[in-house]
Amino acid sequence: MGEPLLVADAVHKTYRVGRVDVPVLCGTSLSIARGEWVAILGSSGSGKSTLMHVLGGIDRPDRDKGDIRFKGESLASWGHGRIDRYRSRDVGFVFQHYHLLPELSVLENAALPCTVGGAGGLSLSGSREVRDRCTRLLEACGVGHRMCHRPAELSGGERQRVALVRALAADPAVLLADEPTGNLDAANSAAILDLIAARHSEGLTIAMVTHDQTVAARADRMVHLVDGRVECRPVSRSSGTSVPSRSPAAPA
Amino acid sequence: MFPFLLAGRYLRSRLIPLIAVGAVALCVALVVIVVSVMTGFLDMLRNSGRSLLGDVIVSAPIGGIPYANEFMAELSTLPEVDASTPLVDTLGLLRMPYPQGSRKETVPVQVWGIDPTSFARVTDYADDLYWKPGTEEERGLMQEDDPRLPLDDSLLRQGETLLDGQGKPAIVLGMHVSIVNSRQGDGSYRNRYGWFLPGMEVVLTVVPIGESGRVGAQRDRVFTIANEIQTGIYEVDKNRVFVPIGVAQELLQMDAAPIVDASAEPDANGQFPVRGTSPARVSKILVRAKPGVTAAALRDLVEARLNAFTERISMDPGRQGRIPLNMNVLTWEQQLRDLIAPVEKEREMMRILFSIIYLVCAGLILSIFWAIVAEKTRDIGILRAVGASRWGILSTFLSYGLAIGVIGSLLGVALASVVVTRINDIHDAIGHDAPAWTWISAYAIAAAATWGVVCYARRAILLRTLLFGIVAMTAALLGIALLLHEGTLIWDPSVYYFVDIPSTVDWTTAVFTALGGVVFSVIGAAIPAAKAADTDPVEALRYG
Repeated sequence: MGEPLLVADAVHKTYRVGRVDVPVLCGTSLSIARGEWVAILGSSGSGKSTLMHVLGGIDRPDRDKGDIRFKGESLASWGHGRIDRYRSRDVGFVFQHYHLLPELSVLENAALPCTVGGAGGLSLSGSREVRDRCTRLLEACGVGHRMCHRPAELSGGERQRVALVRALAADPAVLLADEPTGNLDAANSAAILDLIAARHSEGLTIAMVTHDQTVAARADRMVHLVDGRVECRPVSRSSGTSVPSRSPAAPA
Repeated sequence: MFPFLLAGRYLRSRLIPLIAVGAVALCVALVVIVVSVMTGFLDMLRNSGRSLLGDVIVSAPIGGIPYANEFMAELSTLPEVDASTPLVDTLGLLRMPYPQGSRKETVPVQVWGIDPTSFARVTDYADDLYWKPGTEEERGLMQEDDPRLPLDDSLLRQGETLLDGQGKPAIVLGMHVSIVNSRQGDGSYRNRYGWFLPGMEVVLTVVPIGESGRVGAQRDRVFTIANEIQTGIYEVDKNRVFVPIGVAQELLQMDAAPIVDASAEPDANGQFPVRGTSPARVSKILVRAKPGVTAAALRDLVEARLNAFTERISMDPGRQGRIPLNMNVLTWEQQLRDLIAPVEKEREMMRILFSIIYLVCAGLILSIFWAIVAEKTRDIGILRAVGASRWGILSTFLSYGLAIGVIGSLLGVALASVVVTRINDIHDAIGHDAPAWTWISAYAIAAAATWGVVCYARRAILLRTLLFGIVAMTAALLGIALLLHEGTLIWDPSVYYFVDIPSTVDWTTAVFTALGGVVFSVIGAAIPAAKAADTDPVEALRYG
């Protein structure tokens, strides 16, 4: 395994629902090496999405209860500006429900991380450089002919491709995908996974949440979240099965 | 740059910001129209005050001012004084030449005895005379049946000299003193029942009041009407008549008269010996300032001169007349204070009351933005997830509010300037029955919308059925209202002094109102914008 790029170190996350504190992550630890593809599996409510949000800097761990480190730097030590930059440049997010902006065209949606990060120039579709890069990515993902359309005019598979291009637009170090194929049929799921695999083969680090074993089987490594804690299972590529070995607090 | 670009996109691709723009535009237009009309009203009052009275008015109590000519000669040596004129002011009754027979109409009037030549130098008297042929340009604009078209300038000359065709003293009446002058939509006059007054005779009755305040016997005098005058101030045009000052002095016993010694023995002819001469008196002296001299500065100068003059006269044992001690020297603004002050107060009150409109505007923007932010919660979560800062989100919605404020305010000012400059046309349109095409169009729209209701109701599309229903109902009600509309006089000149509604945009108010509209739009947007910036991206993505 290579050097760790993104590390969750004994992260706790508790949500308050009414008057009740609901613990979601209970000392979760996970280390993702540079160039690695990790699949995170777990049942509903096991904290998969919360772990992704915490890893992606959208959410923060409970105060003084765990830490997220990117390239050795603790996210807790960063100010708002650096966290915003982390979200726009260092990581790319793909959501299960696509989450495209309805008022923007496909190209403008794809360029969003660059334009909000200040590389927009005078256009919502970004500077020429951004536009060229997004156009190439959209064409590579098979939605090049849809660039001027609005998201409402696209199919689910096409929307997820656009969401994938958006995640890759700023050339991030890590792709965080939260059930990217959860809303898609088999053919579209396979196509999206092929696209992700292609990026992975080029060296992209990927953390992907799924509850589909066949999807997870494409990853280098699977980890299971059970009640907010990580269970490690080495992947057997031939069988797609794995043997659980519980490691509650230590990095997996 | 991103926040502005995104705000621009939101603005263009949705209907709800148009409602906000419309709300701001209407609020701004309302304030600008009301304050412009009030300010215009005040300006008209001021301008006409000066054109009627000159800059400074020296006035005396009932007894009048003696040696006025001497005093005016002194004033004319002041470099600040352009001209001055004496005036005799009293109340009288005027017996009109109509209707025929013995039961002729009598109207109360304010009589001004003037020296027409110097009076025209101090006021706009000569310009305001109505019956004159006019310039070529003015004649081009007159309608075919305008009674001024066949006129030559003889009536104008009679008005300017206050002498009739035979050289006898004549009278000039305010345009609305008689009821036979009927004002038309274009501001010109026609004569009812063929009564063209110039050249006809009227009887003026006045009551002289002595220096000591004793009321004398009434005096009647027949005058030929030389011309009529339109100052634009209804109160003046309704009541005032002008006669030569000499005649007025004579009628009011304010002319020069010998003082006899009634205690002495009469001579052989039964006449008492003459002890001296009581000088002629006038009620007021109007003074006009040279250009660049303020009325207040001239007032101080005139007052100083008057005090010196009064002292000199009182020291002179040869003078029989005494200048009253309680003389008033006022600027035209002070003289018209009771007229101007209420309007000023009214305008300020309007400004304050209509400032509440700003709050309404801010409230509207606030609620509209609240709805926009609630609807955009998920988008805000996405933007935050892909790296938008809180400041970026805040700026997006603030610039959205700014854009709505700027566009709304500009549209509001444009709307106000159109309404204010065309306000007299609008008023005239309201004053007449609605033309047939307006209510026919309204019914046509109502019929088309009803057809839409039927079509969509059969296809069970509820929203469109409802919208077309509302359009049909509104158009039908508008049609009924237009059909039943009868001309309504809103701007009654007898209430508002002036015959026309002021129609100049008060640009200072317009600029400040527009700025206010922008500021309140931004404030209205700021609260939901801050709420948007505070939105937790995880919550926004999960529930948005």
